[in-house]
Amino acid sequence: MSELRRDPIGGRWVIVDTDHPNIPQDYEYQHHTLHGRENCPFCYGNESMTPLEIDSIRESGGSTNTPGWQVRVVPNKFPALQIEGELARRGRGIYDMQNGIGAHEVLLETPYHEKDIPDLTNQEVESFLSMYARRTRELEKDKRFKYIMVFKNYGFAAGASIGHPHSQIIALPMVPKNVKEEIRGAHSYFEYRERCLFCDIIRQELQDKQRIITENEYFISFCPYVSRFAFELWIMPKNHSACFCRIAAAELPALAAILKETVSRMKKLFVNVSYNFIIHTSPINGDMDLEDYHWHIEFMPKLTRIAGFEWGSGFYIVSTPPEDAAKFLREQ
Amino acid sequence: MPELRKDPIIGRWVIISTERAKRPNQFAGQYKEGPAEADCPFCEGKESQTPPEIYALRPKHTPANKPGWELRVVPSIAPFLRIEGNLDRRGMGLYDVTNGIGAHEIVIETNQHIANMADLPEEQIEKIITCYIDRITDLEKDSRFKYVLAFKNYGWIAGGSRIKHAKSQLIATPVNPKRVKEELEGAKFYYESHERCIFCDLIRQEIEEDRRVILDIDGFIAVAPFASRFPFETWILPKKHACDFTTLDMPSRFELGNMLKKVLLKLKKGLNDPPYNYVLHTAPFRRKKSGYWKTIDYDYHWHIEIIPRLTHVAGFEWGTGFYICSLSPEDAAKFLKGIEV
Repeated sequence: MSELRRDPIGGRWVIVDTDHPNIPQDYEYQHHTLHGRENCPFCYGNESMTPLEIDSIRESGGSTNTPGWQVRVVPNKFPALQIEGELARRGRGIYDMQNGIGAHEVLLETPYHEKDIPDLTNQEVESFLSMYARRTRELEKDKRFKYIMVFKNYGFAAGASIGHPHSQIIALPMVPKNVKEEIRGAHSYFEYRERCLFCDIIRQELQDKQRIITENEYFISFCPYVSRFAFELWIMPKNHSACFCRIAAAELPALAAILKETVSRMKKLFVNVSYNFIIHTSPINGDMDLEDYHWHIEFMPKLTRIAGFEWGSGFYIVSTPPEDAAKFLREQ
Repeated sequence: MPELRKDPIIGRWVIISTERAKRPNQFAGQYKEGPAEADCPFCEGKESQTPPEIYALRPKHTPANKPGWELRVVPSIAPFLRIEGNLDRRGMGLYDVTNGIGAHEIVIETNQHIANMADLPEEQIEKIITCYIDRITDLEKDSRFKYVLAFKNYGWIAGGSRIKHAKSQLIATPVNPKRVKEELEGAKFYYESHERCIFCDLIRQEIEEDRRVILDIDGFIAVAPFASRFPFETWILPKKHACDFTTLDMPSRFELGNMLKKVLLKLKKGLNDPPYNYVLHTAPFRRKKSGYWKTIDYDYHWHIEIIPRLTHVAGFEWGTGFYICSLSPEDAAKFLKGIEV
């Protein structure tokens, strides 16, 4: 008998196929290839092919927009949102709209085209993570922005248009729908119990153990009880904290270590798999609620095709139970 | 300037980013090869290769599970949900769980080896619509079910199978799916303050503005929604208000068949036979629960949502519920309007 599981945060029901669970070999996925290496605008030496850099980490010196960088942030050449202008909120009949004001930046995690997170040193991973936080804190100063979204699309199947590993930072003038729902769910849980829902999830996961992939002093990496996708996993700080960008200096190396270990395990199990991850963090500039929200990273390997059923219903079918997925990942 | 638009029903914001717009022909679809026609389990004469039929449109004198049918419904050989058993709702600490009870049926839309519904005659699509209505009405009798989702995955990328024989699926669920609930809540909220159906208002405004209308024939309208999530997303709505798809009368079923065929043909011709999904959005089973469904007959409006699968959806769009659409619905409507069918 398969199971229907209800997400304690947003209230979404998910079908988990506990009857005939898929094993990793059952997934037929599109492999990520490294093509596009020639004339890659994100490679070392091609700095002039991108818009002018916003920020960079250059430990060995070198002036801006030249080689010598470890991490580089540039504006997106084809931004989904523009930084200049007014929001101009307006309505027409039943419809509401506003100008697409925001920021859309690209973060080059490494100068090397072929190096993904598992190929970097812990120190290098820590560098780009610290840049995530630095850019977020900077963008937060713009009062027009309500939410900063940091995410990575790796591989064409996951929506990336360039093969060189990179992340994106989007500053939005409103809070995205799923984040709002998450916050609403966490808030109502807190109102009732005066405890953070995410802290309770961590406690229960540490007790149940079966969905945990790995943990260190500050973080746990686990497959959530209500996964929407096969082999979905979350990385969560053990200490309660609403904002990713306020991450303590001591936590940063631990985050780099757990992210690298988790992605390495995933890529050993699924060679050259495309993936996405998103940092879920508290909204900024007014909508913040520090007590009941808890930042975390949601990671999804791109293993399945998403069908009409999921689109239309918001009802997901997971073909590998998270307990099995965690076990496979632990064994790598 | 990119535009942020809010879906008036469920309140989701979407970025319409025309700067990133691509020409329609840049979205061409790709296919992997499926089994040959001779090996298709859904063709006439291969009835023994499917589980026994639940429903069929066939002359009285032909026996079940034998040739002679025009349309068949069979249980899925790989059902997500099972029909036997109890729900057994329970909690595990924080978490809630229930058994996977439900029904999962496959509608074999034709006895011919035709892949795309767009290539079926209008009369055949009308029969498929009648079949949906009959099956949903039958599944409603099972009090464990709250909703029946009727949908189609056409093409491998859209989650379809490699077998190129037109089919759709029906899934009866013991809980109301999240997306449906949101739509119902949004519509109810609008009704409370306006005492009008939001979908009826939407239809009125679309006809008046005439910028996103793709087709307007008889009792139905096809529009590119204002806050489209995907390029060429298309909704088909009945102009006459009704919350429940199963109440559709016979003449309207033919009109809907005609509309569905025309829209699917436009997508096929204009976008090089793309993979697509469609999902029927209709009212849940309205069983007695005091006061619960008070206004649903007035506030909700059934419709069909069609999504051609032309772009890779990035994970963050799933994760955040935040979509970036690289083609404005106005341009999409203009393009599809211009395709002769």
